[in-house]
Amino acid sequence: MWKLFKYLKPYWWQVIILVLATVAQVYTTLQLPALMAQIINEGIVPGDMDYIWSMGLVMLGLTALSAVAAFLSSFLSARVGAYFSRDLRADIFSKVINAGVSDLKQFSTASLITRTTNDVNQIQMVITMLLSMMVRSPLFCIIALIMALQTAPEMSWIIAVGVAAIIGTVILIMALVIPKFKIFQKIVDKVTLITRENLTGLRVIRAFNNEKLEKKKFEKTNNELTRLLIYVDRILELQNPLIGIIFNGATLLCSWVGISLLNQDFSYLGNMSAFAQYVTFVMISFLMMSMLFVMLPRANVSAERIREILNLKSKIKWQNETRGVPSNMASVEFKNVDFSYPGAAEKVLSDVSFVAEAGKTTAFIGSTGSGKSTLINLVPRFYEATKGEVLVNGVSVKNYNKKDLISRIGFVPQHGILFSGSVESNIMFGAPNATSEDVAHAAEVAQAEDFIERLPQKYDSHIAQGGTNVSGGQKQRLSIARAICKNPDIFIFDDAFSALDMKTDAKLRTALKPITKSAVVLVVAQRVSTIKDAEQIVVLDNGRVVGKGNHLELIKKCPVYQSIVRSQLSDGEYARELKLADKYMAKLAKEAR
Amino acid sequence: MEQHGSTTAGKPKDTKFAFKHFARSIRPWRWMILLSVILAVGSAVLGLFIPKILGDMTNIAVDTYPEIDFGAIGRKVVVVVILFLASALLNYGQAFILAVVSAKYTEHLRSEIIDKISRLPISYFDKHKYGDTLSRMTNDVDVLTTTMSQEIADISLSVTTLIGVMIIMLSISVPLSLISFIAIPLSVVAVGKITKFAQKYFREQQNTLGALNSEIEEDYSGQIVIKSNSYEDTAMVHFGETNQKLAKAAERAQIFSSLSFPVTHIFTNLAYVAICILGGKFVIDGVINIGDIQAFIQYVSRFNRPITEVAATTATIQSLLAASERIFEFLTEPEEEPDAEPALKIKHIKGEVEFHNVCFSYDKKQPIIRNFSAKVKPGMKVAIVGPTGAGKTTLINLLMRFYEPDSGYITIDGVPIREMKRADVRRLFGMVLQDTWLFSGTVEENLRYGNQSASYKDIVRAAKSSNVNHVIEALPKTYKTVISEDSDNISAGEKQLVTIARAMVADPPMMILDEATSNVDTRTEQLIQDSFEKLTHGRTSFVIAHRLSTIRNSDLILVMRDGAIVEQGDHCELLEKNGFYAELYNSQFADN
Repeated sequence: MWKLFKYLKPYWWQVIILVLATVAQVYTTLQLPALMAQIINEGIVPGDMDYIWSMGLVMLGLTALSAVAAFLSSFLSARVGAYFSRDLRADIFSKVINAGVSDLKQFSTASLITRTTNDVNQIQMVITMLLSMMVRSPLFCIIALIMALQTAPEMSWIIAVGVAAIIGTVILIMALVIPKFKIFQKIVDKVTLITRENLTGLRVIRAFNNEKLEKKKFEKTNNELTRLLIYVDRILELQNPLIGIIFNGATLLCSWVGISLLNQDFSYLGNMSAFAQYVTFVMISFLMMSMLFVMLPRANVSAERIREILNLKSKIKWQNETRGVPSNMASVEFKNVDFSYPGAAEKVLSDVSFVAEAGKTTAFIGSTGSGKSTLINLVPRFYEATKGEVLVNGVSVKNYNKKDLISRIGFVPQHGILFSGSVESNIMFGAPNATSEDVAHAAEVAQAEDFIERLPQKYDSHIAQGGTNVSGGQKQRLSIARAICKNPDIFIFDDAFSALDMKTDAKLRTALKPITKSAVVLVVAQRVSTIKDAEQIVVLDNGRVVGKGNHLELIKKCPVYQSIVRSQLSDGEYARELKLADKYMAKLAKEAR
Repeated sequence: MEQHGSTTAGKPKDTKFAFKHFARSIRPWRWMILLSVILAVGSAVLGLFIPKILGDMTNIAVDTYPEIDFGAIGRKVVVVVILFLASALLNYGQAFILAVVSAKYTEHLRSEIIDKISRLPISYFDKHKYGDTLSRMTNDVDVLTTTMSQEIADISLSVTTLIGVMIIMLSISVPLSLISFIAIPLSVVAVGKITKFAQKYFREQQNTLGALNSEIEEDYSGQIVIKSNSYEDTAMVHFGETNQKLAKAAERAQIFSSLSFPVTHIFTNLAYVAICILGGKFVIDGVINIGDIQAFIQYVSRFNRPITEVAATTATIQSLLAASERIFEFLTEPEEEPDAEPALKIKHIKGEVEFHNVCFSYDKKQPIIRNFSAKVKPGMKVAIVGPTGAGKTTLINLLMRFYEPDSGYITIDGVPIREMKRADVRRLFGMVLQDTWLFSGTVEENLRYGNQSASYKDIVRAAKSSNVNHVIEALPKTYKTVISEDSDNISAGEKQLVTIARAMVADPPMMILDEATSNVDTRTEQLIQDSFEKLTHGRTSFVIAHRLSTIRNSDLILVMRDGAIVEQGDHCELLEKNGFYAELYNSQFADN
């Protein structure tokens, strides 16, 4: 928490003025009761009207000063708080946006979002409060204490009693309630969970006629929550009346003790009501400070979560300038590549080697968890190979400048991800200098032209956040168009065709052919039909390459590939594929001879 | 993706609607609320006398000085103690009653909402986001009940204190009172103005925060795309702009909202000074006593808080009404038509399904199914095929009566399903969808979901025949393992197997299946296919088909395109027709 205070540094002089203003404010507020006591003792009792007037004017001056100080401090604390959190947010955002994909793997997107927004808000709230309270409350407390002791030292023990009572009450109530808060949060989560399930499982619940069962489940938790809530409130609501009793009791004590001291010194007449006000001030500042202690641990949790992000050290170091000269011929080569996640013992990829050449499609197939998605993530250096080398155009990815490498790659992720803006801005996302002809061409190849032309404003049509106003297949086609528009050396399709129906899939692959003549195409796929025509298919199983070749070769010699094909085709079709493969092998053998 | 609930702050659109429904639903607790208001008033009134009696103590001391009458003062002390103890007790009483009311009211609203969820037509949820309903259930209910209990206590305390203080002050000294009252209208007007501005800026802040949130969400979830297009710098610039806007809005909102305290403080301080001066003059002139002045000063300082509070009430009441509006908007949505009465029943189901000239559209403008008729004989397998987004689930929606046809009707064994109870229709079908919904509970509970009376043996048998027994046995607590929708102890394919087993336990006479299995590894895929075959064996079944083998072996194929059924027939007939199906088939499966 305290380490985040360095974000206050650019605003140091504002903080200093803020502190000074707070001091002035506290001082003037506390002077008023003393002046009032003086008016009573030296003005009213002897009947000196001139004195009353002059002291009255002093009080008026102090009030004005206090007003200015109060304005200044609220203005400054609002300002510093707002800019503090702006800077903090910007730093977190920049850290996340610029961090490597592998660095962020440990955080879910939702958690990253919470850290950038909610957690910063929490900190801002506490900082704003601290800025005014951290100075004000102790200061208030100390000055009030001093003044109380000056006005009536014999009564100082009342302060001790009052403060002790306040602290005791707060601690007692917190001790009773805080352990319940954890349970409370759990039940609240459960209520949300059941409601969520009722919404997401709507069709299943109705299909099974289980509305009543769900309702019963909900009622049980709902009731549990209500009972706990009432229990907690029963204790929590004690706080206000108890504190009221303490405040009133202290005031009463002041009057009683003051009166009993009158015989010793008549000035207690004025002093005791000033003293009573000081006692109230001291107790209020203690109350405030104890609240602060309740809030701080919560803010600390947020601060920790933020610092986890700010302390991220990227494991991937990029070169300022690309070292070596990348060839003009596009190529991707893996040389004995191993990969495992940091801290994990198991290898996701082991000893993977292959060469993907320009003008050819290299496809990767294998069951879930075989490592095919991880593999292609090594090309744009989203992950770093733990062993071996990944070469792009003949140069190791480690020797590239970041922008240089990325500009060579057109990456299409598994899920079509779009950004709010227009159709055009989405297609131009990676190629800011593209002309509208480039955009239209990319859309045409990606089989997106038809539906774009049907949109009310064509390429200027609005895309909502997350692309929710276009269908899944359309999203995917736009995201393919985005990659095409970059005109890259290397195309990477991470299972990008599975959201398309087979017909569009086939058309798209045909249209891609001419524009990928001199490019490397890497495709991860589930469907055999998508990759059948690939010049090279790499079959992965548990992170190892278990087959390399074209469709017909693999169907003959790779058992893993066979079982994949078998599961997707009918028996008749499989038999036909086998026959084709036999013919192909025979032809190869003949050629070899 | 998690939807952020729309902000509850802000103005209600229809204040009357919001208030009317709120008042009606809180009615059962009106006596308890009244009681707590009475207790609050009582507590405030009792508290009011304390400074007055403390002042009396000083007066007695001054009058009897130097032979101070401690007996009389002691009696006053006892009165003060009784007063503040009683006041605290009443205060606790009112707070506790309100806490109970608000807890019970929360429970009531939640249970109304969950009930409503089960009575609304499916179409409502197809049009509205889950996050929105969820946020009404959580955020809005919270806002409504907490502000309600807070406001009831605050208003009754503040108003009573204000009036009481005024009366007592007047009884001490009319001219002094008038001076301090000047502070009231000034403060109210000033705070009212400030709150209005603050609200405006708070809304601005809330809106900018929303914009920033969506930007962050978009950029973070699109990280891969940003990185693979070197878009980081541009994203930073965009973010910086919105971030700056937010800082400005937050600054303004904060400044205005923190202003109201110093402003009322100034007015009351001015009154305080004036009273010291004038009061001093009055004492010297012998109009009032010193004790009165002291009491008066204490009352003036008690003036401060209630004024600020009452002035700020309008804003909180608006957010209360806004929340109330969102809750009752949901609770008054039109519900599903009630079941026909008396409802028809099918005694011994054969499984013959017939569509009679069925027309259907989701939005009346765009007809989806036009005049569709088909007869499905008992035990037939019907395949529904078509490209993605062709509306293949529409037919299932109609069969299950999630939606009703615009015209025409569907019969099962000759009985129109519209004349049956929804529950009875749904009981006839088992459903296995692509969306593998499981609730968080044990595997066993999930399997029993469609048939609460199934024995453990039945469950294991179903699991075995859906090829998922070995998966379950490998879980840490086998059938007692807790699973949920997002649990990662079983894979997506295995989840689908569990939903197949669930349908088997229910053992319905007819089946509805969705074959689409993306993200499933080869072996599981085979297991699923095998289980599907067992499940459909001997049952009339409707399959959203993706596999060629399923399609070819079907007795009837319904071909859908752009939401409409364009062709029907069996595989050979359709190929001969050489229409859309043939085109689809050739492009998808056949070699060129």
